[in-house]
Amino acid sequence: MTGFGVSVAFWVLSVLTLASAGGVMASRNLIHAVLFLIVVFLGVSGFFVLLSADFLAMAQVIIYVGAISVLILFAIVLTPRAERDNSETVMVLPAIFLGISLMAIMLFVLYDANWSVTATEPSLSAAVLGSSLLSVWVLPFELASVLLTAALVGSIMLVRSPSDEEGDLA
Amino acid sequence: MSEVIKTEPFVMNIGPQHPSTHGVFRVKVTVDGEKITDAEMIIGYLHRSMEKLAEERTYTQNIPFTDRTDYLSSMSNNLGYCLAVEKLGNLSVPPRGQAIRVIMAELQRLASHCMGAGAFANDTGAWQTPVMWFNRERERILDIFEMTSGARLTCNYMRIGGVAFELRTGFEDAVRQLLPRLRQTIADGQELLAENEIFIVRARDVAVVSPEMAIGASLTGPMLRGSGVAWDIRKADPYSGYEKYDFQIPIGYKGDAYDRFTVRLEEMRQSIKIVEQALDDLPGGPHSTEVPLAFRPPSGEAYARIESPRGELGYYLVSDGGPSPFRFHIRPPSLINLSVFKEMTVGGSIADAIVALGSVDIVVGEIDR
Amino acid sequence: MFPLLVTDHWYDLRDLANLYRVILEGLDHILPTGLVYVITALLGFIAFFVIFVLPSQLYVGVYGERRLIGRMQARQGPNRVGPLGLLQPIADALKLLQKEALTPRSADRTIMWIAPILFVAPAILIFAVIPFGPRMVFADIPVSLMYFLAISSLPVIASFMAGWSSNNKYSLFGAMRIVAMSISYEVPLVLGLLSVAVLSGTMSLQGMVIWQQDIPTWMILIQPIAFAVYFIGVSAELNRTPADIAEAESEIVAGYLTEYSGMRWGLFYGMDIAYALGASAFAATVFFGGWSLFGLEQWIPPWLIFILKTYLFYFLFIWTRATLPRLRIDQLMSFSWKFLLPVALFNLLIVAVERLIWTSNDLPDAIVWAFGGVNIILMVGIVFVWSKVFKYDPKNRPTKPRLVNESGGYRPVDLGEGGSAS
Repeated sequence: MTGFGVSVAFWVLSVLTLASAGGVMASRNLIHAVLFLIVVFLGVSGFFVLLSADFLAMAQVIIYVGAISVLILFAIVLTPRAERDNSETVMVLPAIFLGISLMAIMLFVLYDANWSVTATEPSLSAAVLGSSLLSVWVLPFELASVLLTAALVGSIMLVRSPSDEEGDLA
Repeated sequence: MSEVIKTEPFVMNIGPQHPSTHGVFRVKVTVDGEKITDAEMIIGYLHRSMEKLAEERTYTQNIPFTDRTDYLSSMSNNLGYCLAVEKLGNLSVPPRGQAIRVIMAELQRLASHCMGAGAFANDTGAWQTPVMWFNRERERILDIFEMTSGARLTCNYMRIGGVAFELRTGFEDAVRQLLPRLRQTIADGQELLAENEIFIVRARDVAVVSPEMAIGASLTGPMLRGSGVAWDIRKADPYSGYEKYDFQIPIGYKGDAYDRFTVRLEEMRQSIKIVEQALDDLPGGPHSTEVPLAFRPPSGEAYARIESPRGELGYYLVSDGGPSPFRFHIRPPSLINLSVFKEMTVGGSIADAIVALGSVDIVVGEIDR
Repeated sequence: MFPLLVTDHWYDLRDLANLYRVILEGLDHILPTGLVYVITALLGFIAFFVIFVLPSQLYVGVYGERRLIGRMQARQGPNRVGPLGLLQPIADALKLLQKEALTPRSADRTIMWIAPILFVAPAILIFAVIPFGPRMVFADIPVSLMYFLAISSLPVIASFMAGWSSNNKYSLFGAMRIVAMSISYEVPLVLGLLSVAVLSGTMSLQGMVIWQQDIPTWMILIQPIAFAVYFIGVSAELNRTPADIAEAESEIVAGYLTEYSGMRWGLFYGMDIAYALGASAFAATVFFGGWSLFGLEQWIPPWLIFILKTYLFYFLFIWTRATLPRLRIDQLMSFSWKFLLPVALFNLLIVAVERLIWTSNDLPDAIVWAFGGVNIILMVGIVFVWSKVFKYDPKNRPTKPRLVNESGGYRPVDLGEGGSAS
């Protein structure tokens, strides 16, 4: 996609996303960190729109902002003392080393990659995605659904108290 | 596994100011997650020391006091008190006075149940619509009271030996016009609420009182009848000529909040029947016996009880021969009905506690006096 | 004499997109490049929000709702402020504006300030994709259905932020309950809308309206189950009765909005209504045929048809609010997971089979009416089967008490089989 608006959108989204990602790392309050993370997710969704992947953009918002952020927020609220000051830790130096080494690897890969531009824009509409998920990629799709079902059943088993074992139909 | 996840109980206050119309009354609830583990009631916010003040006033001057205990059913209160004094003084009431008393008491039962059923529906969340419909009819009943006694709420109409004034000329027409509309409103309430799936789900199996618990805690009124115990003082110990009228007592099945609600609706229908019968054979004659202004009953004690809309309302009077009572005690049905609140709500959730409180139909003026 | 087909002139008000296009083209010559985008966004905001949503919110949402609920309760609604009470919403807005918005000292100020903003944004953003006419849609993206679902997950975060920032244990628990209810009703909502997308073959709202216009039909007649699932799901998302525990919680426990006063609360309240209008507009588009009306949209302006349909759907919200009591939170959750979700899945399966039959055999478009008949029969069948599963037997559930003639003693219940009267 080209155009003046697209360029402006790209730069605005980049600044927003990177600043929020910095906020996730730097905020002392864990809930603030999660709220910055929500902004990062929305920014990534914006990037998907810029790449003409409209279905992925909407799915990103629904899943990440709608479900996963809520999950993280619940986890923080239900864990006692999870919001204590986040900045004091002994792992500062190893973390910095790890971050720098990861950044070095990424820059190396980016510099050495062959960034070619395809002739035609790949079509990423929902119809194409759906048909390929159910024809070419059906096995990973089914495995993912089995995994999700297992997670659902497991979470219900975890919170069931023995008194709930009797049938509670309606 | 369940011992690993700990929840800590915390104490919450319900009241003393309620959005619902129950009055100033406070419940301290200990909640563990969703379930209530303990409920402690703190009363006394509306104490006006009526029983003590009554010892300095004559028997007739105490009648307005009784208006203000259970302010939603003042006629019934007056009736109970006058019965107690008449028992003390061995007075008899002329038949016309008795019939007028019955009409007023039953109209008051209708008005009070309109308010009680409406407030209960409000507690389940039905957003004021049933309150408005029932209160529209209650306003008409209160207009009739104003026509007879001069006041809508605190009527002060009964006197020792009969009633205060003779009925006005438009009274019978007004009542006969009111009764079909009331029947229609009760049918509307039955259809909108009692047959509404959401209401049933909200009120069934909530705040169950077993018959043994009800009898053991000396509950009376719709709370007792909702549990299936057929006890109504109008039938068991008739007063003021109730034995002449043909009516039935509704009793419930399980003792939950839904049963009490349907019992109240049915009591309203039976009250309409009684009012019609009383109006049809209204005897002539004087409306009260002559009683001196400073009435001095012989010394002794008397206990008279009536079936007020909330239950058994009892008046215990001790006289020492003077113009004022020596001791004046009211047996408030709301207070005794509320004593099982903890057993009703423990194990349920807070929303159920609100529904339970609505189904008891308390009036705090009576609890605290 | 009166041209029936919509023209391109700027004064042809049956298609307001003409006006919009003319303004933008005029401005494009005058202004530098980037500014036109800003003007486009501003014009869209003014056209959709300020001209349509804001007056609807005030006059249908606040005034209309209060008056209608009043009439349903045998009383008049507001009729004091201004002629017929028409200035009531303005009075309410002015009152809220001049109130002091208190912030507790220990609350989190930034988040408390951001939460209403995050609540306002989705209510405005919904209207960007809703088609008011054949060319009157601000952003005709091919996945507008998913856009609606994506936007509807934002108020959940805003409610949580509002509850958490109050630094009040009760409002936090209230907010968490609301969030749990909202996300558990999102699942049947998505599945219900998915079945609509499967049958019409497109996820774009303009595409759905055109699909409903080509086979002249309304989706509600073809997929009543999807409509029922959508209505219940969106009532729960919007926190409207019978699922309004957000407001009921404040009977005893402080709701998640306790620490909000003044215009901050006014924003929550107003945007609640605007969001409800957005959901009604969405339902009018997907289920009631949008701006098309079996061919009459050439005479009546299509945006007028659409607005009337939106208000009709909003009336359904008002009606259920005035009538039904509210459910407890655990009853709501069990209803969503144990009833709505299986029903929505079953509906999806049936619709997928129908779509397969339709496209693979190349049947004419009128076959959807047959599908509609099948779906209606299935809906009735589901109700019967479910009631059998849960042993719902109205004869065994007395709604009137027993009557006895004599007093004295406990009368045990004998209801034949079953014993308990539930």
